[in-house]
Amino acid sequence: MARMKFLCDAERCIDCNACVTACKNEHEVPWGINRRRVVTINDGQPGERSVTMACMHCTDAPCMAVCPVNCIYTTDDGVVLHSKDQCIGCGYCFYACPFGAPQYPRLGNFGSRGKMDKCTFCAGGPEVTGSKEEYEKYGANRLAEGKLPLCAEMCATKSLLAGDGEVIEEIFRDRVKQRGYSSGAWGWKTAYGEEV
Amino acid sequence: MSSLAAAIRNVAGACALAGLAALSSPISAQEQTQQPATTIINPTAQGVTEQQLLQQEPRITGRIIIPDKRAAVLIQPAGREWRAFHEIALRWIAAIAILGMLAVLVAFYLTRGMVRLESGRSGRTIVRFNGFERFVHWMTATCFILLGLSGLNITFGKKLLMPLIGHDAFSTWSVWAKYAHNYLSFPFTIGVVLIFLMWLGGNIPDRTDIEWLKRGGGIVGHKHPPADRFNAGQKAIYWIVVLGGAAVAISGYVLIFPFYGTDIGNMHAAHMVHSIVAVLFFAVMLAHIYIGTIGMEGAFEAMGKGTVDVNWAKEHHKLWLEKEAKADKLPEQDLRSTPAE
Amino acid sequence: MLIKRSDRPARQTHFAAFAEGLGLARLDRRSFLRRSGLAAAGLATIGALPLANMRKAKAGPPPAPGAAVEIRKSVCTHCAVGCTVTAEVSNGVWIGQEPSFDSPINRGSHCAKGASVRELVHNDRRLKYPLKLVNGEWQRASWDEAISAICDKFMQIRGTSGADSVYWLGSAKFTNEGAYLFRKLGAFWGTNNTDHQARICHSTTVTGVANTWGYGAMTNSINDMRNAKTLLYVGSNAAEAHPVAMQHMLEGKELNNANMIVVDPRMTRTAAHATDYVRLRPGTDIAFLYGLMWHIVKNGWEDKEFIQSRVYGYDDVLKEIEKWPPDEVERVTGVPGAQVEHIAKLFATEKPATLIWCMGQTQHTVGTANVRTSCILLLLTGNVGKPGTGANILRGHDNVQGATDVGLDIVTLPFYYGLKDTAWKHWSRVWEVDYDWFVSRFDSKEIMEAPGIPLTRWFDAVLLPKDQVHQKDNVRAMFVQGHASNSITRIPESLKALAKLDLLVVVDPHPTTWASLSVKSGRKDGTWLLPACTQFEAKGSRVASNRSLQWGEQIVKPSFEAKDDLEIMYLIAQKLGFADKMFKNIKVENNLPEAEDILREMNRGSWSTGYCGQSPERLKLHMANQKDFDLVTLRATNGPAKGDYYGLPWPCWGKPELKHPGTALLYNTGLHVMDGGGTFRARFGVERDGVNLLASGSYSLGSEIQDGYPEFTYGVLKKLGWDHDLAPDELATIQKIGGDKADAVSWSTDLSGGIQRVAMKHGCVPYGNARARMNAFGVPDPVPVHREPVYTPRVDLVEKYPTRQDEVQFRLPNIGFSVQKSAVDRQVAKQFPLILTSGRLVEFEGGGEETRSNPWLAELQQNMFIEINPADASERGIVNGAWVWVAGAENSSKAKVRALVTERVGKGVAWMPFHFGGWFGGEDLRANYPDGADPIVLGESANTMTTYGYDPATGMQEPKATLCQITAA
Repeated sequence: MARMKFLCDAERCIDCNACVTACKNEHEVPWGINRRRVVTINDGQPGERSVTMACMHCTDAPCMAVCPVNCIYTTDDGVVLHSKDQCIGCGYCFYACPFGAPQYPRLGNFGSRGKMDKCTFCAGGPEVTGSKEEYEKYGANRLAEGKLPLCAEMCATKSLLAGDGEVIEEIFRDRVKQRGYSSGAWGWKTAYGEEV
Repeated sequence: MSSLAAAIRNVAGACALAGLAALSSPISAQEQTQQPATTIINPTAQGVTEQQLLQQEPRITGRIIIPDKRAAVLIQPAGREWRAFHEIALRWIAAIAILGMLAVLVAFYLTRGMVRLESGRSGRTIVRFNGFERFVHWMTATCFILLGLSGLNITFGKKLLMPLIGHDAFSTWSVWAKYAHNYLSFPFTIGVVLIFLMWLGGNIPDRTDIEWLKRGGGIVGHKHPPADRFNAGQKAIYWIVVLGGAAVAISGYVLIFPFYGTDIGNMHAAHMVHSIVAVLFFAVMLAHIYIGTIGMEGAFEAMGKGTVDVNWAKEHHKLWLEKEAKADKLPEQDLRSTPAE
Repeated sequence: MLIKRSDRPARQTHFAAFAEGLGLARLDRRSFLRRSGLAAAGLATIGALPLANMRKAKAGPPPAPGAAVEIRKSVCTHCAVGCTVTAEVSNGVWIGQEPSFDSPINRGSHCAKGASVRELVHNDRRLKYPLKLVNGEWQRASWDEAISAICDKFMQIRGTSGADSVYWLGSAKFTNEGAYLFRKLGAFWGTNNTDHQARICHSTTVTGVANTWGYGAMTNSINDMRNAKTLLYVGSNAAEAHPVAMQHMLEGKELNNANMIVVDPRMTRTAAHATDYVRLRPGTDIAFLYGLMWHIVKNGWEDKEFIQSRVYGYDDVLKEIEKWPPDEVERVTGVPGAQVEHIAKLFATEKPATLIWCMGQTQHTVGTANVRTSCILLLLTGNVGKPGTGANILRGHDNVQGATDVGLDIVTLPFYYGLKDTAWKHWSRVWEVDYDWFVSRFDSKEIMEAPGIPLTRWFDAVLLPKDQVHQKDNVRAMFVQGHASNSITRIPESLKALAKLDLLVVVDPHPTTWASLSVKSGRKDGTWLLPACTQFEAKGSRVASNRSLQWGEQIVKPSFEAKDDLEIMYLIAQKLGFADKMFKNIKVENNLPEAEDILREMNRGSWSTGYCGQSPERLKLHMANQKDFDLVTLRATNGPAKGDYYGLPWPCWGKPELKHPGTALLYNTGLHVMDGGGTFRARFGVERDGVNLLASGSYSLGSEIQDGYPEFTYGVLKKLGWDHDLAPDELATIQKIGGDKADAVSWSTDLSGGIQRVAMKHGCVPYGNARARMNAFGVPDPVPVHREPVYTPRVDLVEKYPTRQDEVQFRLPNIGFSVQKSAVDRQVAKQFPLILTSGRLVEFEGGGEETRSNPWLAELQQNMFIEINPADASERGIVNGAWVWVAGAENSSKAKVRALVTERVGKGVAWMPFHFGGWFGGEDLRANYPDGADPIVLGESANTMTTYGYDPATGMQEPKATLCQITAA
């Protein structure tokens, strides 16, 4: 069974934010919710690297473990999804997440969080695949249409890879072998417990 | 506005991080920019790596252009440690504290039974807590119980309750429990503040407490040590309520207003403080409830009706009773007729 | 030479998996998905795209069951890389955007802007209907009313002040057809005051490069950079300005283990991926480049054979090179000698090497000289005309190359024919309008042949005393169709001009800063805002940076009352009374001229530039068969376009029937001319002062003339005896054009295409085979020299390297020398000690109103800021994120922005993005926008702070090197 993963090749990421707006546009994600983001380390200095980050769809996902209502689940493809109907907006998944992936719409009163929102690997949610409800709650379900996450498909430099973990790992390894340098597959070890 | 400020704080963080990197690596960015005269600057070869950064700092933080400063934290493996705390350590601590306390209380009840009024009821009463005091106590107590149960629900609900009532019902209940937890925090906090102010006078530790403690508070033995309005045990409860209440309130508000001047590390810390203090607090309060109810004859009415039997007061709070007498706050004849012990 | 043709299979295996993972090719993508074990049901849907179960939002719920979803392709409007945009349209609504995997240019990729273009069309902050300013308030008007009132005013101004008093400011956002029509509109109106963004973008490139080797364009292509072993970026921040180009650059870097050298005052996102980063002082590119050449010549690394056979003026340049030993280079540029030598060695010895530039070189008072120095470096090392080499000039707007080519310019008619009577007569023949009628349209025959006023100086043309404006009268009306005002320097001056204009017409999808600043200037009336549609609501061809033409379909019909640019031009021409003449050979339906017909007319007249072979049919064929084109060579390997280069990059010689494949690499002698080969253009005569200007012993593959040769005329054909190859109808056309001077009819004026056809039949390039000019006689500073910016912090260098003397250029005085002298005398550099330079953010484009109105982009950059070095910041007590005042060196200009304290900029340098507008001098002008049409994000314009300074050859402004002071607010 394929295991879906993300991999950001920081030697390619140029902080162009295509992944961010592709995601926003595809899923109509509102202002203030950032399913994907680009962080630049050592900004302005030689050695600077930018990395795009979203939910990494971890193996043994910490968010899933700490969710007090067990609303987070893993699909057969290894995609970590959640049910907004069951989410209580407690914020625990954000504390546990190593990647800052869970997002919460701010409700009116004192910082109270709404239902958690996060990257779905373009795989929708528990609603009927392709239904209006699924789109409204979780966004498009590209995976069901045989497409990969749009952020990776539209990545300007093919820095962000998405797909079967073994395949993208191989692509990345080939790249590193070819060019002879790498700043690593950021977050890979934390997410999947293994090095590339 | 605040968004940019936030972003810029992150930049500062990144710069600080970069500074560390500079200290540790011989061919550093800092040196490069300061001495371009002799160096070939090769940004490809100088690229930072994840491992290198994680060795220096628990989190990798960088610059981000969106206003959400939390987003500037790229990777925080500490999330996994927090998870271990939440899913394993906290459950054990809570289980041991609460079940342990229950076990102790049951054992105590079985061995000692209810502490009786040794001299029986006099039939005459004295005002121990006025209406306001009782209102504050019960408001705080109600909030505390609901906060405690809704809090425990977060930690144990999915293991204990969810299998019983089903996933959806559990989620619905948990949403309400979360709202209750958030909103009841305000009256609870007010209650704690009022308790602090209201009873501070009677709760300053003094010499009598030493004697009281030496004699085990009269619960263990049958000799009641003299006590003022509050004996050492009650003082301990008071301070646990005030300090524990402050701790859960402060840490709770950090959690309720996430990331207002705090970062993910602070949030982890706040949560740990909140949950550990809360479960210990809860365990202690079980004992308080026990003594205030089935543990001691005549105690409940102090907070229930507000008055206590004079004999009860004599046995448990002799010094207080004497002071009240001097202040002419109780029927004189009643007191005179019963010689002091 | 490192052409990886033979290596490609190996590369394929290395990257086959990559290609699959990224859905590069359809089958690969499919197999990847299969390997990924995705649902079989999903797989089945790929081919048919039955998106019935797909949910698209704002544009409505998923298409109703059974509703057809159509795929339409257009081209991203945000830069000249030329990314294909694939749109899903249902019931006339653009419901989704999918990756364009088939495009050899973007292979599915986009940047932040390209991935959110759908939002441009849906944007509710667009202008919805025509508006006019009445007593300082915006009021709704009808199109009829607007066109009538505007044209009546034009006629009135024409009557009193002459045709040149109306300034026609067009756009690089136009399709080729739109840009061409706009220039034609100017010609029919009777003025050369027609300009567009290329003026402030790459006018210096076009002039500098064309004067070196013939054509003013990128010589190779972005895809071809995959072949380079050394990439030298001087003044290009591709990562932020051309992100998708970085895909090819970074892959090339990885595959070839290439040297990637970034020379920039800022440590940019591009520099972060460099193998060498060089920080130089803004405005000292020439000194740096000569510094490289000093080492190259000293070490004998130059390509002697190339220079001997294909270069003119080497000895003249050598004298200048000798003036730049390492210590002088370091004194001027700040770049250490060792680093210069290191870079020089890499560039000269690790070949093929390419030089990439963008605004960092062009936007200077020495812009033309900068790019010519770059060309000289390429010529010196023989890095032109081969794969992996060349001047890879990254253009800015999606069609800025095309708009330049079609002559939306002040110095030429379409396709670089110039303004001489021969040019006018050529176009009179193409347009089938009497030449004398054109003469009658102009204020005089002299002014008809005189270059117009550059847009950089439109406000000077309004404000200067009448006797200093060398036309009949000052400019009194501005007709602005698709151009920002905040991208032009010296905004405080333009504000004064806005107050003085009789008429201001802004045609744009958004109000732009013209609207907010015109209200700020105190205008109460005489101002119109007309809603143009976005380019996704129009069809036509666009020219990417690499000269490829791509046909964009209309994705959806114009929203609201917005109109197609072509329709607006038609309505104006109709009201002005010359529509019948202007659209003589162009079909017009419901006031909308047909884009295909306009392109056909261009095909018939564009022999000089080789736009003659790109018929709409051929372009559409390419868009439909993108998958057949090779990633590196851009040549179709199979399918109906087999043999063609993608988008028929000009020059595509001869008539479309001749099936010239286009020219992927200019001046490439390694290919036959019918395969896209070429030579340096014989544009400047055959000899000068006894020195041969034609090539020696160098010629393109298969040429029957195995030496240099002049451009082809009928006379030349006769001399060669090749005139017999002309078909009778071709000969007849030549004779009809030439009359009794038929011998003078050339490859560029022969409307039959016969001369081109015959020349190529003999393997010759129609424009001749000459030497590239290191010494570009006829251009200011024929051998480029370093000149300090007008406002320089290095006053000590001004005496040795002063800017050029005051002079009248383009109808206006250019008093740069006086301004520089005054600045030095007044010690301006003491008061304003920081160098101010400006540049681009990836999220926004140009003046930015369109992108700042796009919520997905606006969210990412919510505040205008200035980058300042930590050392400069701490000296001033400035902390990150704090408000600061930036004070400019002219007009007491000031701006209130956020400080971004960063080491991206070196000490003494500050940097601002130029996309912001809607604030002025600390004041928020949001209320000046029409209701609901204000962009989401507003901020101070960098150009409020920029100062005087104009390139003598082009009128280019100076937004990249001036002075400022920053204080905490």
